[in-house]
Parts: sequence; structure tokens; C-alpha cells
Amino acid sequence: MDAEATVGERVRAYAWPRAKLVGGAVAVGAVVGAALLAALVVAGGWAVVGAAQFAFALGTLAFGLGLLGWSGSAMAGRGFENMQEHLDTNTDWTEADSRRAMARVGGFGGGAMLATGVVEFVALGV
Amino acid sequence: MVSKRFIAKRLLLLVPVLFGVSTFVFAILHLSGGDPARIIAGQRASEEVVRQVRQDLGLNDPILVQYGRFLVDVVQFDFGNSYQVSKGNPVRQVLIARLPVTIELALYGQFIGLALGLPLGILSAIKQDSLLDHTTRIGALAGISVPIYWSGPLLILFFSGYLGIFPAAGRIGSTIFLDNSWTLLGMELPLTGMVTIDTLLLGRPVAWLSAVSHLFLPAITIGVYSMALVSRMMRSSMLEVIRQDYMRTARAKGQGAKITVMKHGFRNAMIPVITVVGIQFGTLLGGAVLTETVFGIGGIGTLIVSAINATDYPVVQGAVLTFALLFTLVNLGVDITYSYLDPRIQQ
Amino acid sequence: MSTETTDVGAEREERGRLQRILSSPFLSDLLSNRLALIGIGIILSMLLIAVYARVFYDLGALESSRLGGSFPDRAAPGWAGGPAAANELLFGTDQAARDIFRRTMYGAWIALKFGTITVGISTVLGVTLGILAAYYGDVTDNVIMRTMDVLLAFPSLLLALALVAIFGAGLWKAVIALTLVYTPRFARVVRGAALKVLEDEYIDATEALGAKDPRILFRHIMPNTLAPITVQSTLNFGLAIIDIAALSFLGFGAPPGSPSWGKMLANGVEFGLQSGRWWMSFFPGLFLALTVLGFNLLGDGMRDALDPRMQDAVD
Repeated sequence: MDAEATVGERVRAYAWPRAKLVGGAVAVGAVVGAALLAALVVAGGWAVVGAAQFAFALGTLAFGLGLLGWSGSAMAGRGFENMQEHLDTNTDWTEADSRRAMARVGGFGGGAMLATGVVEFVALGV
Repeated sequence: MVSKRFIAKRLLLLVPVLFGVSTFVFAILHLSGGDPARIIAGQRASEEVVRQVRQDLGLNDPILVQYGRFLVDVVQFDFGNSYQVSKGNPVRQVLIARLPVTIELALYGQFIGLALGLPLGILSAIKQDSLLDHTTRIGALAGISVPIYWSGPLLILFFSGYLGIFPAAGRIGSTIFLDNSWTLLGMELPLTGMVTIDTLLLGRPVAWLSAVSHLFLPAITIGVYSMALVSRMMRSSMLEVIRQDYMRTARAKGQGAKITVMKHGFRNAMIPVITVVGIQFGTLLGGAVLTETVFGIGGIGTLIVSAINATDYPVVQGAVLTFALLFTLVNLGVDITYSYLDPRIQQ
Repeated sequence: MSTETTDVGAEREERGRLQRILSSPFLSDLLSNRLALIGIGIILSMLLIAVYARVFYDLGALESSRLGGSFPDRAAPGWAGGPAAANELLFGTDQAARDIFRRTMYGAWIALKFGTITVGISTVLGVTLGILAAYYGDVTDNVIMRTMDVLLAFPSLLLALALVAIFGAGLWKAVIALTLVYTPRFARVVRGAALKVLEDEYIDATEALGAKDPRILFRHIMPNTLAPITVQSTLNFGLAIIDIAALSFLGFGAPPGSPSWGKMLANGVEFGLQSGRWWMSFFPGLFLALTVLGFNLLGDGMRDALDPRMQDAVD
């Protein structure tokens, strides 16, 4: 009885905080991306398509960094911990922290890409 | 000993790593401000031609579409054709031809680094504060202070120019030609592209000697640099193990126990060193760029340099991704070794 | 009136700090470390050479080709069997008949100048980011520091090459690229040190007394992170000089005629390697390696003097 009840709960306990973390970052990224786009067009006098492409590229930078950082942390995390312990001065790098932050950075970039990409799509279509 | 599931999980990490690197590369290309269409068409091409090229390349499509297409191409390891460095040839072909060269150099360099660095680090730790320890530490410090682009030329000038015992550049004697394939039990098989292996497969000892003597100086150059880090790391790790309680007890118990524990201590001290070797492989690849340039070896390193110089973006992309792939695979190997040494980690 | 007292107090504290630094075990440890002293000696000599070259040599003359002038090109040093005309040339001449001795001396200026700029900017950026991360904690900390960590994980030369692909070639652009490479190292060290300071009670006390954020940051955290920052700067100075020279060597840094060590080594490889003209590579590389060794020796000595673990290790 206990086990059956916990399967759903366990999935939820696993997925929900992660979804919240990434989803929040995506939302923030989308807003910031859109704001940057608006600023470029309104204040900078850029063309919508050019501005969207630029903002999108910045978004991919964050997305790529986040993705790379996330998987890199998972892959080489122990190595970094060891290296810092033996060759550096003081640090408190941990793999888990790094992955969480990278999920944020990546989500942020993804959000920005999504928002600016859609805007450009619409602008080109019109 | 190492579970298949663990390996599969690690292999799966390749996907986000390469996805991340290619997204990163995409961003770099789009932020760099160069116009690929202009580069392909050439500086003197008319505006008309450039516009046509841009259309053909799909640079007028929505950026989301460009990004999607880019990812699909990357998955197929298809970066299009080189603009400049190997004009008109598919980047994939250029990469495949050059990859073994860099792998060969990096492997021998890493091997020399480990073969020299591990014993030095251990001796330095066991005989702490002895003359040997001080010499090793200063040597390691000097090793990271001497840039590859100085130690390489010095080795060439001394061993090749002055003594004349090693060739100065290239991978194999210029009069030696290797076949394109070798046969095993009547089957025709492709060669590896690594000359020190291919010459053996083809059963040509003279050519093998030539290949080894060509590789010797570059591998030493890159290996000494790697040795410096390995020995520092090994010393620090070994010292930590030696200072632990069970080691002290063993030392008190006498010589026989000491040797047993030294073996055990070595195994424990190796764990952090192995993981660092994986990360340091990235620096080694950076070193390969310099070493290849000094010794005139046509690997991925020299390719990346000439591609950046010629703003040959497809080649830059392909080369960067290849480096990332290499780095990831090496770290996968490191992980497996690590989990062999310390089985708890497979959880 | 209350402000006056605190000012006096701060001044006294300041003086006390200076005294503490002078009589600290750190400094005496450092000065009793022979290797560190050698490092200091090397660095000071290079500094002298650099300033001398900057003041007395004409950069234009060092850069321009001297072909057709009084010296032959690619001449060995006079003392090493070079032609009579090269007697006064200690280090011989390069492929454009330029005096390698003077160029190498001037190279010290270029290396130290761009090294200082790179390390200086990354220190300022890193200190700012590190202190902000430590002070505000939570999400700010996490996002700043882990982004730094990811940048840290990239092999420095490869990352610099990727950035050069974006920015283009040139010494200043190389400096920008390397600044991005080095900033994370400072941020990390500073954050660690700042966190330690923040854990101490007196910051809480200051905060309770109503001191504003920036005051705490600059009055209390900054001074206490100086030691680790200095160690980090020293160690990275050597690396920065190597990396700048590496970019120049590959053709992405200093312009062709420049008397920078990296470019001179590139010339040595291109024009002197196959023909055994060792002096073209030997001298610029020797000075480069010596300078880097100087910084590494000093930095290592400083770290040993600072790190209590290292002292425990000496049984």
C-alpha cells in the first residue's frame, strides 16, 4: 500500500522542484529577452529582425553555456572537486550546486531564445 | 566490476555536452559579426552574388529555423564545405583525415606525462623535504613555467639541428609511402591514420622507426608539460594518504606492513589524480595546438589556427566540436577507471 | 562627534593593520623562503629591464626591418661565431636584421604591461563579482559563481582561441579574451575569503550598528581578502604572460613586427628552426620562461606561507 502511494509521490517529489526551477528561469529569460528586444528596437533603432537575431544569439550563448555546464558538471564534477582540493586554495564547489545553477542559466537562455525566436518568426511572416 | 548501466548513463551525457557545445558554437558564429556569404563569395564579389550566396546558405531564414537546421547538421557531423582552408571539401572529410594525428600526439603526450609524473610525485611525497622532493617540485614549477612554444623549438634545435638524431618536423620520412589499407586473413581493412600503428599493421619496421622518431620530440614536449601537473597532484594526494591514521599505524608496525599499505595507499592516492588527468586533457589539447604548430604537424590544432585566421567558420565549428567530443570521451574513460578504483561511486 | 571617534578608531585600526602585516608570520615565512626570494629577484630584474627598454629604446626602430643596414640578417651573436659586424650584438639578429637583444629587452615591457592589464582587469572584475556573490548569497551567489565555474572549466587557451574567433586578432583583443578567462579564478578565491570574513561576528555587529552595504563591503571584506587575492594575482600573472605570448605566437596577438616574446618565438620557429639559428628562439623564450618562473616561485611561496595545511605537512 505504502509503495504504491509513493510511486506517484516520488515522481512528483523528483520532478516538481526541477520543473519549477527550470520553468522559472525560462519565464525570466523570456521576459528579459523580450525586454532586450524592445530596448534594441525602440531605444537603439534596430530593425526588428536584426534585433531578434542578435538577442536570440545572446540567448543561445546562455543556453549553450548552461547545457554545457550542466552536463560538464555531471561528467567531470569529481575531477573539479579533487583538483580544487589539491591544487587550489579554498573552494566549496559542489557538483549538485553547479548543476542547479546551470539549469537556471540554461533555462534563462532557452526562454530568451524562445521569446526572441517567436518574435522574429512573426516579424518575418508579416 | 563496472556496471553496464553506469557506462550507459555516462555515454548518455555525450548528448547534452555536444548539444551544448554546438549551441555555443552557433552563438559564437552569430555574434562574431562576420558575413559568411561575403567570405565564401570573396572580397571582390558583387553585392548580387553575395545576396545569392546568402540565399543559398539559408541565412535569410528565421533564426529559429537556422538553429534547428544547424543542430540537424551537427547530429550528422555535417558542417558543410570548407570556405578557405581546404576550399570546397566537406569539413567532415578534412576532420576525419586530421583527427588521428591529434589523437596520436595527445595519447603519447599523456602517456609520457603519466609515466614520468606519477613516480616523481610518489617519490616526492614519500621522501618529503628531501633533496629529491625539492628538485621535483622545482622541476614541476619549471615545467609549467616553460611554454611549449619554447621547449619545442629548443628540443628541435638540440636533438635535430645539433645532434641530428631526431627529425625536426612532419610525421614520417618524406620518402615513405603507406598503402591505404591493410589485410588481415584476406580481409581488406582500413588503416587507423595513426602512423605509429599503421606501420605496424602493414608490417614495415623501418617505416615504424621513422614514425616513432618523428613523434618522439613532439610527444616529449607535450608530455613534460603534462608531467608537471601530474607530479604536483600526485604528491599532494599521496601526502594526504600517508598522513592518514592507518598509514601511521602501519609505519609503526614495521617494514612488511608498510609495503602492503603503500600499495593500498597508492590506490587511494590515485583516485583524485585520475579524475584530474581527465580535466587536464583539455589543457593538453590546448598544448596540442601549440605543439602541432611548432612541429608542423597537420592535426586538428593547426587546422583550428588556420581556420580562425581565414575565418573559415564551418571548419572552426567542426574542429571545436571534435575537441569537445574527444574531451568527453576521455572523461568517460576516466570515469570508468575511477569507478573501478572506487566502486562506491557507481551508485 | 560619533563619526569623529569612528574615524580615529579606523585610523588606529589602519595603522595596526600595517604593523600586523609587517610583523605577520606570512611575511617572515615568505622572506625566509629562498625560492620566493629568487622569484622576487627575477621579477624586479625584469621590471628594471622593462622600464629601461621602454625609456631608452625606440619602439619604431625595433619594429622596422633593418635589412640593408649595418648588420647582416640572421647573424649569430658575435661571441658565438657570428660575423665580425655582429660583434656588438649580444643575441644576434633576426630575419629582418633586427637586434634581438634590444627586442628581447623591450619584450619584457610588453609582457609586463599586458600581463598587468589582464591580471588587473580580471582582479577588479573578479573581486567585484566574488564579493557580491558572497554578500548577497542565495540565487545571486549561485548564478554568478556557477557561471564562473563553467568558464573556469574551459581550457584557457582553447577558450581564448574561441573568443579570438569572435573578437578578431590583436593584442588588446587578446587581453579582453584572457580577461574573461581569468576573471572566474579571482571571483572564486575572493568569494571564499569574503565568506570567511562574513562568518566572523564583527560584521554582524557592524550591520547592527546600521552600516550600509557598500561600507561593509569595502571597509571590512575587501581588506581581509587582500592576501588570497595577491597570491592569486601573482600565480595568474605568470599564466597570463604565457597565454598572451601563446596567442601572439599563433598569430592572434601582437602584430607581425612587434618585439613581443611570443611573436619573436614565432619568427624563430618560422625562420630559424630548420636552419639551426638557435638564437632567434633561445633568447626571447629564456626571458619569457624566467619571468613566468619568477611569478610562479613567488606565488607558490606566498601560498605556502598562507596555507596552514602546508605548514602542518612539514612534520
